[in-house]
Amino acid sequence: MSASDLPTKEANVLKGHEGAVLAARFNADGNYCLSCGKDRTIRLWNPHRGIHIKTYKSHGREVRDVHVTPDNSKLVSCGGDRQVFYWDVSTGRVIRKFRGHESEVNAVKFNEYASVAVSAGYDQSLRSWDCRSHSTEPIQIIDTFSDSVMSVCLTKTEIIAGSVDGTVRTFDIRVGREISDNLGQPVNCISLSNDGNCILASCLDSTLRLLDRTTGELLQEYKGHTCRSFKMDCCLTNTDAHVTGGSEDGYVYFWDLVDASVVSRFRAHASVVTSVSYHPKDSCMVTASVDGTIRVWKT
Amino acid sequence: MDERDLVFYGTPIEREEELSSRKKKAVAEASGQLRTLPTWKQEVRDEEGRRRFHGAFTGGYSAGYYNTVGSKEGWAPQTFTSSRKNRAELKQQSILNFLDDDEKADLEGQSLATSTQFDTFGFTASEVARKQADKEQDKRPSAIPGPVPDELVLPAAESIGAKLLLKMGWRHGRSIKDSSTDSLYDARREARKAFIAFSSSDDTKSNIDGDANHVNDHSNSLERPVNDDNLSSQYTPLNALQPKQDLHGLGYDPYKHAPEFRAGKAGPGFGIGALEEYDIEDEDVYTTAAYDFEDTVVQEVEDSSKPITDHKHRLTWKEPGILPGFKVASISDYQVEKFNAPEVPKDFVPRHKFAGPLKVEDKTAVPPPPDVPPPEDSNMKVLIEGVATLVGRCGKLFEDLSREKNQSNPSFGFLMGGNGHEYYERKLWEAQQKYKDQKKLPLPSDGKSSQKTEKMNAENRGKILGERPLERSSSSLVSPDVNLQSNLSDTFMKPLQFSELPEVSKPFKDNSAKQERFQQFLKEKYKGGLRSGESGGASNMSEAVRAQERLDFELAAEALEKANRGQQSNLSAQQSMDFLTSAGMQFTSAGVEQSKDTLDKDFEMKKMYPKREENQWRPSPVLCKRFDLVDPYMGKLPPPPRMRGKIDSLVFKAEFIPVPRIGDKTGQNQNRSSGGLQSSAQGVRDGSADEEEDEVVVDVENVERPVDLYKAIFSDDSDEEAETSKVSKVEDPEKKVEVANATLNRLMAGDFLESLGKELGLEVPPDLPPYSHTNQNPSALEKETTGLNPRDGSSVKMVAEVPKSMDDQSPPRGKLDEVKVVKITEEDRKQGSPPPSEDRMDRRHSKRQRRYDSISDSYSSSSGDDSDRDRYSSKSKGRRKKGSSSRDKKSSSSRKHSRRRHHRSSSRSSRRDKDRGESKREKRKRRD
Repeated sequence: MSASDLPTKEANVLKGHEGAVLAARFNADGNYCLSCGKDRTIRLWNPHRGIHIKTYKSHGREVRDVHVTPDNSKLVSCGGDRQVFYWDVSTGRVIRKFRGHESEVNAVKFNEYASVAVSAGYDQSLRSWDCRSHSTEPIQIIDTFSDSVMSVCLTKTEIIAGSVDGTVRTFDIRVGREISDNLGQPVNCISLSNDGNCILASCLDSTLRLLDRTTGELLQEYKGHTCRSFKMDCCLTNTDAHVTGGSEDGYVYFWDLVDASVVSRFRAHASVVTSVSYHPKDSCMVTASVDGTIRVWKT
Repeated sequence: MDERDLVFYGTPIEREEELSSRKKKAVAEASGQLRTLPTWKQEVRDEEGRRRFHGAFTGGYSAGYYNTVGSKEGWAPQTFTSSRKNRAELKQQSILNFLDDDEKADLEGQSLATSTQFDTFGFTASEVARKQADKEQDKRPSAIPGPVPDELVLPAAESIGAKLLLKMGWRHGRSIKDSSTDSLYDARREARKAFIAFSSSDDTKSNIDGDANHVNDHSNSLERPVNDDNLSSQYTPLNALQPKQDLHGLGYDPYKHAPEFRAGKAGPGFGIGALEEYDIEDEDVYTTAAYDFEDTVVQEVEDSSKPITDHKHRLTWKEPGILPGFKVASISDYQVEKFNAPEVPKDFVPRHKFAGPLKVEDKTAVPPPPDVPPPEDSNMKVLIEGVATLVGRCGKLFEDLSREKNQSNPSFGFLMGGNGHEYYERKLWEAQQKYKDQKKLPLPSDGKSSQKTEKMNAENRGKILGERPLERSSSSLVSPDVNLQSNLSDTFMKPLQFSELPEVSKPFKDNSAKQERFQQFLKEKYKGGLRSGESGGASNMSEAVRAQERLDFELAAEALEKANRGQQSNLSAQQSMDFLTSAGMQFTSAGVEQSKDTLDKDFEMKKMYPKREENQWRPSPVLCKRFDLVDPYMGKLPPPPRMRGKIDSLVFKAEFIPVPRIGDKTGQNQNRSSGGLQSSAQGVRDGSADEEEDEVVVDVENVERPVDLYKAIFSDDSDEEAETSKVSKVEDPEKKVEVANATLNRLMAGDFLESLGKELGLEVPPDLPPYSHTNQNPSALEKETTGLNPRDGSSVKMVAEVPKSMDDQSPPRGKLDEVKVVKITEEDRKQGSPPPSEDRMDRRHSKRQRRYDSISDSYSSSSGDDSDRDRYSSKSKGRRKKGSSSRDKKSSSSRKHSRRRHHRSSSRSSRRDKDRGESKREKRKRRD
């Protein structure tokens, strides 16, 4: 994919959130997108047609992250009210509330089978919640982190989480090992490459770092944007050819994966770009910002 | 006679009891609501004097219509019908809707209102009129359904004084002054106003109070007399425009420096629930510049005050530095007391003296330009040097000036980077360095510190020493001599510096000859390239050694210089010296390394990170299951939970004792066997060991903590029973001697042992008959049987019989098995296995345990014979007898039981006892 194919044209603006949008995520097939924000709501959109479909309200405070199961039937969300909500997508009802985090919950993800939700909290812990049973107690608490856990990613066999203590920790369930990669800088967000071999970690020194997962080697650093004080997402494009991420000045950056050059940058929002999410198949991207809008970008 | 016909005089004397009760009642009644009584005795009555509250058994609260609802008809839900023609009246609820009649009466009693007869100025009338108008308006259909919100039509909040004044013809903003022109006008206006007031039913909006000003203004504009020009002067400022409602000090504006907070903490759509409090986390970390909430909110806030304030003239408002609503007084008693600034002492120099020289930074900051040979033209050279000196002295400005001035002059080409520019730069640098040195010198005046004397140049030294300065050529200020001199001073200065080195900084002080050579080397080094032939080292030195020494000197000198330059203390200098001498050949000064460090910091950061660490991590089984993975730790022991604190860890240790014991049985056994050998040497304890053995059986089967603790204490003698017996086979004579000793000692040591046992809080091992030592296995059995049937007189006989059935070839196994289940032992014996190793024994223990359980279940059905009961009774007896020191068999056996009781707390163990007893019995029967 060449740089000209990057999604730099604004296709739609999704307005509806009152206040900052903290996360925007495509669903598994990329037909829908979910967003959540400071207005305590989760919203479901059709980004391609620019339609607001549904609003999920139950959180008591801002919603920081949301994730949807691969079969689009359930949602999991978390936020400032220290709870993880397990929603039914169609009815919009909360099926379960997982309480246990001692502080705000920064991120949450389903596993492949949507049987477990893993949440990352400010209380320096990862908690895994059972979505199958009726238990509201965490299955397991991982509290080896020494600072707030900002982001979590799940593979089929691993739980990967990035923390402000500068580490990206991989918990391999199959082997029973914890691999801790210390980056020396607070990790804001982690993102897996589509081939699953690399982790992209957004650090608070305005640098994105690409790590080889097997060796823990630093493959590349991507600089140019500003990321010093906000939780901002980063991700790889669907082809793994480019790296993208937002900036605190409202810009969106595209880097070449290999030589780390800034391929493209454009002003996407008026304010901090909190979240970027790339379409799983097409060259399409959604960005969310503190200015209250979600924008859909296409080529 | 009827009482009515009689006439009474006086007050009849009432009887005591009557008086008391009636009086009480009377008093209570008199006091109104029975206030004197405690709360629970007071009765609540309605206005008719009926009790409305009853006790729970008399109907509880009676309310409404026979405790049902408000009326006989019952309760009908409210209906709402509204059609286009017949609009439903929108009922506004007020507090009066919810009040009872008496409460309403109360309320009316409290509220003050002017009755019509005292309504001198017709206020109430006008108020009534206004209300009437409102009501009429309500009835009329309008664009906005419902009543006009009160907020839109605000009554002016005016004091009674203002109202009075208004009545008298005064208007807002006007001075209170009787003017004939105005009075006439006012009279007219008054009449108009009255007219308006009374015809207000036609005018939808006009009401006297609220819109008086509006009308006034209107009329003013229409028929205002000509005195408009002096109108402004007559205005009195209206000051108290906004009532003070907060608790701040007068004029205090909490948002003065934080206007962004004026609007409240969050904009619409933000924030948290009403019941939650704002935390620090709820602050909007993002700068929401895209929203202009503040503006809108502020607008709203101001709206309320606008109707009042808008039309008023604010003359004194915008004056800077004055609180809103205040004026500056023309005469003031307040005088600011002024204090003069403290006087600066005359000898005060407003400059900070640094402890060390600042030279280092200069030198390190500006790298010297390369030394360039002077141009051939001597005039040029002189010119360049002269300009350089001047520029060095006067600063860059001079250079710029002269450059501008001599732009066309080719001889000044060096200034523009032409011919001789490099030389100029070099000279300029030299001049600057020199000038800096000179500048620095006058400052430190105390000659104490050696560093300052070091910085001395030739001129100063000459002055101090009374030398006459060298004669200068009179031709110009900028003669080459100046440069030469400065060069000279440099060359002399540095050797001097080194010759005056304190003793500590002499790097080769232990070798005086070498030190001398070093000093020589230093002197020569700073003289320039010329060096005498023998200066390199002692003449008797070989070439290689000399070269080596030369190298040393070079490095030492460098380090020394660095130490001095770095304004390090003598101590650190010495340290570096010491380092030099000790390190010998490998001279690498620390300073160089440090600078390297800073350079390579980024690089090192990159090298350092990312760091990878691997730890063990145990996923919970459920997690594995949910991830559809096989638990890598399946079947393994749970990891010990993390220690949280001292107390926790203590608790933990106690709990965790059993676990390793089960885990490493082999180690335990080794301990046991070694310990057992020791103990077996003591004949006295041998007897006790026999009993210990069945304790061990218990231990293995039952993993409870108390038992285990006990095991930890006593198990030493347990498994080595096998061992000792084996040993006894091999070393029979020794054993026999031991046994003999034991039997002798037993009698003597019995008392001692018992007392010792008491001291330790343990049960004293019971005495054994001597023959038990010849073969320990039967003795164990015998113990068992005697223990089980203490009353049975045939116990001794049985003991004698049991050994016959025993297979000598497998004593340990047989012994243990027989204690438990006969069948198993027989099975094993058939296999003819050799005496098992301890590991195997353990395995068998566990195996047996399993088998045993099933068997015991089968046996438990037939439990309940007399012998069992007997046994238990004996047990209890034994417990009672625990303290007794009698040494007969019975008591000892009972003591043993009591001990066992101690350790087997679970019901299961007691049942096992039973089973064992049964198995014994069975065995016995078979043998019989």
